[in-house]
Amino acid sequence: MNIVSNKNSVAWFFILPAFLIHLVVVATPSILSLALCLTDWNGFGKINFIGFENFNELFDDRVFKKAIVHNIIWTVIFLTIPIALSLTCAYLLTGIRRGQLIFRLVFFFPYMLASIISCQIWKYIFHPLHGIGVWLSNNGIELFEKSPFAVKDISLYAVALVDGWHFWGFLVVIYITGMYQVDHSMYEAADLEGATKFQKFRFITLPMIRPIFIFTLMIIIIWSIPTFDYIYILTQGGPAYSSEVLATHLYSQAFDRFNVGYSSAIGTLMFFYVLIIVSIFGLLQKIGWEI
Amino acid sequence: MKKIRSLFFKSGHILLSFIFLLCFSVVVTAKTKIVWWAETNADRDPVFQAKLVDVFNQSQNQIELVMEFKEGLNDILRTAMVAGEGPDIVETPGPSYVKEYQDAGLLKSMQQYSEKYGWKELLLPWSYSAGVFDGEFYSAPKTYETMILLYNKTLFEENGWRVPTNLSEFEALAAKIKAKGMHVFSYGSTGWQPTHEHLAGMYLNSVANPDNVYKALIGEKSWDSPEFVEAVELLRKHMVDEGYWSGSLENYYALGWDDFHAQFAKRGAAMMTIGTWTFQATENAFKDISDDWEWAPFPNLTMEGGNPSFLLALGTTLSINGQSKHPEEAAKVIDFIFKNKALVLDMANDFNFGEFVIPLKYTNSDFGANVNSKVRRYLIEFAQATGKGNYGYTTWTFWPAEPGVHIWKDMEVLWAGDITAKEYMEDHEKLWKKARRKKATLPVGKR
Repeated sequence: MNIVSNKNSVAWFFILPAFLIHLVVVATPSILSLALCLTDWNGFGKINFIGFENFNELFDDRVFKKAIVHNIIWTVIFLTIPIALSLTCAYLLTGIRRGQLIFRLVFFFPYMLASIISCQIWKYIFHPLHGIGVWLSNNGIELFEKSPFAVKDISLYAVALVDGWHFWGFLVVIYITGMYQVDHSMYEAADLEGATKFQKFRFITLPMIRPIFIFTLMIIIIWSIPTFDYIYILTQGGPAYSSEVLATHLYSQAFDRFNVGYSSAIGTLMFFYVLIIVSIFGLLQKIGWEI
Repeated sequence: MKKIRSLFFKSGHILLSFIFLLCFSVVVTAKTKIVWWAETNADRDPVFQAKLVDVFNQSQNQIELVMEFKEGLNDILRTAMVAGEGPDIVETPGPSYVKEYQDAGLLKSMQQYSEKYGWKELLLPWSYSAGVFDGEFYSAPKTYETMILLYNKTLFEENGWRVPTNLSEFEALAAKIKAKGMHVFSYGSTGWQPTHEHLAGMYLNSVANPDNVYKALIGEKSWDSPEFVEAVELLRKHMVDEGYWSGSLENYYALGWDDFHAQFAKRGAAMMTIGTWTFQATENAFKDISDDWEWAPFPNLTMEGGNPSFLLALGTTLSINGQSKHPEEAAKVIDFIFKNKALVLDMANDFNFGEFVIPLKYTNSDFGANVNSKVRRYLIEFAQATGKGNYGYTTWTFWPAEPGVHIWKDMEVLWAGDITAKEYMEDHEKLWKKARRKKATLPVGKR
């Protein structure tokens, strides 16, 4: 046996435990869920095959349609604001030598917090009796008198603010890591040419971190679909389904209404959406994009 | 050498005899282990352990009761039961869950034990009926509760206010309270959207009348009938237009348990609409202040008024796991509870009757001097009123899963003005029809 195939065998041997866990805990339930979407199972008793009835019902479900729109809005928000903010801060941080670690820690700290803690912090910031709105009101400024999580028109954006605050630091760390791998001589050459900071960012930094940047776009698009915890803790999809997303609708159908088959249909559609996204990125990679 | 050998054999003989006796005693005294999974609560768990588990185990030698306190009991229990595992005694949040387990064949019928031990005669009739599925007794009530109106007694006396008896008195009182710069009610739903069903149930029964609610539950009336539409429209008006609860709809959505109890105790609001599970928290909130609180049944909200009703509600239920290897012993544990009024009342008193209020047929003499007078009055009045037929129905005890979720989840859509009360109740009726087609309705005792 040659050295290469020996090394491959050893590699598989080390991957095997994680693979088995993934197979048992993730892959098998996912495949079973694909089968459950064709049933009327309530999570307790007999499983009856009903064909595509769940999908027919889904297309008439106004809450499901609302949830799709909210997921799209969520994706657009996270593809813009946190990325813009984190790119800017990461680039500015590369110019700081002293104290950079403190900045990185401060930016990354929210990402280390459990979601329940982040949500409690923001709930109390916007609390109608003890929050910032009360303090501002006492100083003559009428702002945040009502908790934004309780206002139908802005609840989704309020939750996105909290999740964005938690998430953007993670992007800063990823981008700054990529930026440090850019060949410094390119910046020196640009300096000699008299390039501005923005020009260096636009023509050197961005192109050079493109693989990382595209990767973050992909993970944001994928992670935006199963987004659940911040919404569930802060608003439970309310008020009036104004912050309902696919994952919270799926949860409610499965665990409140005992419609496990129906919720599996939602999960199946989410799965195919993610599969399409991953396939698109795979295709782009095949045609030569650096991803 | 001979002496040493002899000593060795004698020691070995004694050791073997000792080991044999030890094993024999373990076999002879081995008790049947009965496991009960309960929802964990830091204040209540030690009381259950000391006053129920330890007392039961010391009272006999055949059964060892083990109570395991679980976080998120519901999900853990369902996973275990579906996998054919789980505890011997199954604790569920209510009849809608019992229905699912019973339909799936996961519970053991307790009919034979009920007949053997006479449970039907011990329990309040409505609570027994709520546990009968397909003609057999499947779930015993672990605690009953009802919705009440809490009010600041001191504040009421200072202002000469009285608990209203009809809709116009109710709205007039609300106006007076608001004129004083207070909220009418303190309450909130943050972290628990199903809070809305407390209000929905109170208004459906108080406006539309419990007789009509009963007819709708058994399919003799449609949920989109005018009286039910009127009830939810009145709730909408009071919640959205008048801001009765914590001043505005948004405040109601944003306040939680600690907030609204503090608001009530500090005269931020004059009243609270809540269930009897709050007795302990209310008592604690008023402990160190000069104001006193009192309760009344939620008033009849028709213009003519009338006797207020107590809404029937079961907080938790107990059943026997269909996979239990010792159902007889599990039944004995349940029987021990039902036959020990003093123990039940002592424990319930520790919780200020917010939990473990088993619906046994209590009399005045059952309550010791240590029982809070307000709570004693509630227990006696509840038994008397419901005995005379003055009762209504809570959604979490008598509504099947889908309509039960619609009541609170889509109430926000009505409150947001996205649909009318009529459209809301029409959707509700559709879900009831679906539940009836699927035979998913819950038992409702004859009225």
